[in-house]
Amino acid sequence: MPKQDFVIERYDPVTERSYEQQFTAEYEPGQTVLDCLNGIKWAQDGTLSFRWSCRHAICGSCAMKVNGRSMLACKTQVTDIVKRGDPIRVAPMGNQKVVKDLVVDISNFLDAFERAETWLQEIPDQDPPSREYHTAKEEFDRWSHTATCIHCGACYSDCTVVAADPKFLGPAALAKAYRFVFDSRDSQKHERLEFLSEKHGIWDCTRCFMCIEACPKDVLPMDAIMELRTEAMREGITNNHGSRHSNAFRGGVRKRGRLDEATLPILSAGVRLGAIPELIGYTPGALRLLKSRKLIMAAKRHGANREGRRQIRRIFDEVEAEKARSAVDAEAFAAERSSALMAH
Amino acid sequence: MLEHGVLIVGSGLAGMRAALEVSEDPDLDVALLTKVHPLRSHSGAAQGGIAASLNNSNDEDSWELHMYDTVKGADFLADQDAAEILAREAPENIFELEHWGCAFSRLENGLIAQRRFGGHTQPRAVYAADRTGHALLTVLFEQLFRRGVKVYSEWYALDLVLRDNVCQGIVVYDILTGQIDAIAAKAVLFATGGYGRAFQTTTNAAASTGDGIVMAYRAGIPLEDMEFVQFHPTGLQGSGILLSEAARGEGAHILNAEGRRFMEDYAPERMELAPRDIVARAEQTEIDEGRGVTDKKDSVFMDFSPIGEERIRYALPSVLHLARDFAGIDPLQAPVPIQPTAHYSMGGIPCDVDGMVRLKDQNDRPIVGFYAAGECSCVSVHGANRLGTNSLLEAVVFGRRAGRAIRTAVPDLAPTRIEEGDLQRAVAEVDGLLKSDGPERAGAIRQELREVMMVDCGVFRTRPQLENCLRMLKNLQERYQRISIDDKGWQFNTDLVEAIELGHMLEYAEVIVTGALAREESRGGHFRKDFPTRDDQRWHKHTLAYRTDDGPRLAYADVNMQPQYRDPFPLEERRY
Repeated sequence: MPKQDFVIERYDPVTERSYEQQFTAEYEPGQTVLDCLNGIKWAQDGTLSFRWSCRHAICGSCAMKVNGRSMLACKTQVTDIVKRGDPIRVAPMGNQKVVKDLVVDISNFLDAFERAETWLQEIPDQDPPSREYHTAKEEFDRWSHTATCIHCGACYSDCTVVAADPKFLGPAALAKAYRFVFDSRDSQKHERLEFLSEKHGIWDCTRCFMCIEACPKDVLPMDAIMELRTEAMREGITNNHGSRHSNAFRGGVRKRGRLDEATLPILSAGVRLGAIPELIGYTPGALRLLKSRKLIMAAKRHGANREGRRQIRRIFDEVEAEKARSAVDAEAFAAERSSALMAH
Repeated sequence: MLEHGVLIVGSGLAGMRAALEVSEDPDLDVALLTKVHPLRSHSGAAQGGIAASLNNSNDEDSWELHMYDTVKGADFLADQDAAEILAREAPENIFELEHWGCAFSRLENGLIAQRRFGGHTQPRAVYAADRTGHALLTVLFEQLFRRGVKVYSEWYALDLVLRDNVCQGIVVYDILTGQIDAIAAKAVLFATGGYGRAFQTTTNAAASTGDGIVMAYRAGIPLEDMEFVQFHPTGLQGSGILLSEAARGEGAHILNAEGRRFMEDYAPERMELAPRDIVARAEQTEIDEGRGVTDKKDSVFMDFSPIGEERIRYALPSVLHLARDFAGIDPLQAPVPIQPTAHYSMGGIPCDVDGMVRLKDQNDRPIVGFYAAGECSCVSVHGANRLGTNSLLEAVVFGRRAGRAIRTAVPDLAPTRIEEGDLQRAVAEVDGLLKSDGPERAGAIRQELREVMMVDCGVFRTRPQLENCLRMLKNLQERYQRISIDDKGWQFNTDLVEAIELGHMLEYAEVIVTGALAREESRGGHFRKDFPTRDDQRWHKHTLAYRTDDGPRLAYADVNMQPQYRDPFPLEERRY
């Protein structure tokens, strides 16, 4: 049987000491990092602590960092990650407090779901139907992939925003919120989108793709967050930095044919009294940018010419017309669908 | 000492469903205790579906047909009053879960989709792609969260405390801190899951070590029908990881080394969709007679090509991933080697249709304040063999019923007490392991246990095999007394928890083998090569195993043949 070295990051809660320890494990092709960890625990060192249970990527217990990235130990085959005799490095998940060895405290991760109230909220004062609610297959197919989340925390562990702001709801809770926003059985769509548009919510994502890479299922959390942004703006929830920024960005390009860096922060903060402290906060940075000639006040000078601006506007018009057409189509489709359902 | 009105032990489908039901009464103080986080519970691994005669894909189904299929699938060992309740209450339970937001797959017309499943004559499996258990577990946890039910996560129950047939509460070990404590409760429900981990090849999670079953056994309660273990026909070769029966429900074939659909020799009508015990035995026969596949010749092929790529991607995404990630095979390109794998525990803690634990002997005494539901219980709805999709259903139907029964009973129950002395056995066990310095390693004993159970107490059994198995078990039990563990610390000591679990496995394995040795017939999941037919005259009865210091003492109880709303289904030969 082939042998493989492992360097495991350990933590002893009694002495509060972190250290690395090297082990050598035998494995058969097809065996996983979890198989090796259990081999080490059962034959060499029973003190090595980690969580695991189902061993086939459904219980979500065994997320940990393997060679620096978060993944399920049970789903990671040794042969897929060995590199020329290098040891495989195993460490606890990030963004969470270590309890012992590879075991972390997941309470912050779980609290996010509670804060986002990720459970179905029925229409108040209305009895459910005697049988099931009718859910169009298209609707189910739209959100069902986000319901595959196994709450393993791998996305949360690798999230670059959680690292900077522990109050950020995180990819998993936001993807789960997406599901309830688009689930027609839920009555709180607008309220949810308002909450999600606040600080620590959808607009704080930096689109770094780490969550999509870490997810062992098909959740695609970042895509869900982006769709939530669009939906929130469609619902008219625009009194926030993120959607103002998005609007100002788009408006600038449409009007001048280029990004207008001078007005962008002002429009993003909002033309209102309350924005003044935020704008004052930008001043030192803006001055530095000006000084280094990175901020160009006269956007026109470097913007697109008249013909270019006209072409860009035409693109905007076409996209918007297409959107309007498909919205009419979708409405007609929905009407047809609901009359068919009522006839059933 | 902690105290709650109601304490639910185990956080899978049955436990959470019961907790939700109890929490309907705001005056009742209910808590849920689990050795893993609720979302890690093994119910989440169930793939294919949950049965209910909704008639969404056809209009010929009825609860009576569902009940008949269940009783026949059980090889007529199911209690018919219980099977009737299971089938009758299925639809309302499904609708309730749907109203809570469960992500069931849909038909084009917006209704819940249903598919075919082994042993069911109608397409009645409601499903969420091939991760139905996960969808159900998630929705129940959401509701539990919403109602703010107290959860003791990663607390390990060590002992059940009974006094004069009245339940007082449990002794617990907080895995995070290592503290031993007691929780007194007027009502305790065990929903602690099955016991498949005693077998080498199994679909079961690490947590399925029969803890609740052994706690009840040690407290003097007999265990019912423990010899009935279901071997699922489609485990991945080697690991035993489950590939859903939904694959066959969607049309996959099973082939031997000659490329032949051998099920035509064993169940010509139902073919691959015969009940699991029959398909598993057919596979094992093909393997034993040299028609196995791959170099090892220890498996047969599951061929997905009749289903079609688009449908596989839509209806069986997890199966696709599992075969790729855990066997390195793409089912869209090649057949997947599969073998029988220990899957489900038909036996368990004897209880009635309201979850109340009863001795079911001549006196049929109830244990006041002690309830059981889900895989750890034996109502019995599954008899000698469970049909696929009936286990998730059992968990919600009987979890809910037990919750209701508890809600009604608790206001009239007297307060309970746990004395210092009640903690002694658990304290001694934990202290003993922490101070242990014997030469034996738990890992080695566990490995030997699982191997001998698989070989000698598996799909096929004979007297010499079972006698050998029992001798081996006695030896392993002795060696277990001389183990030592490496981790002597208090915090998050998984070395210690695994050693205690091994003690449980050694204890219940003996009950399985003793029951199997005594039952000289073949019925459902229990097949004796030396007694290959069903013997209703002698064995149409439930086994009850009582704990004594010399091993299990067996007694027997009648099978209930008194459904409430129709005539019982008479015993008949089981053909598919």
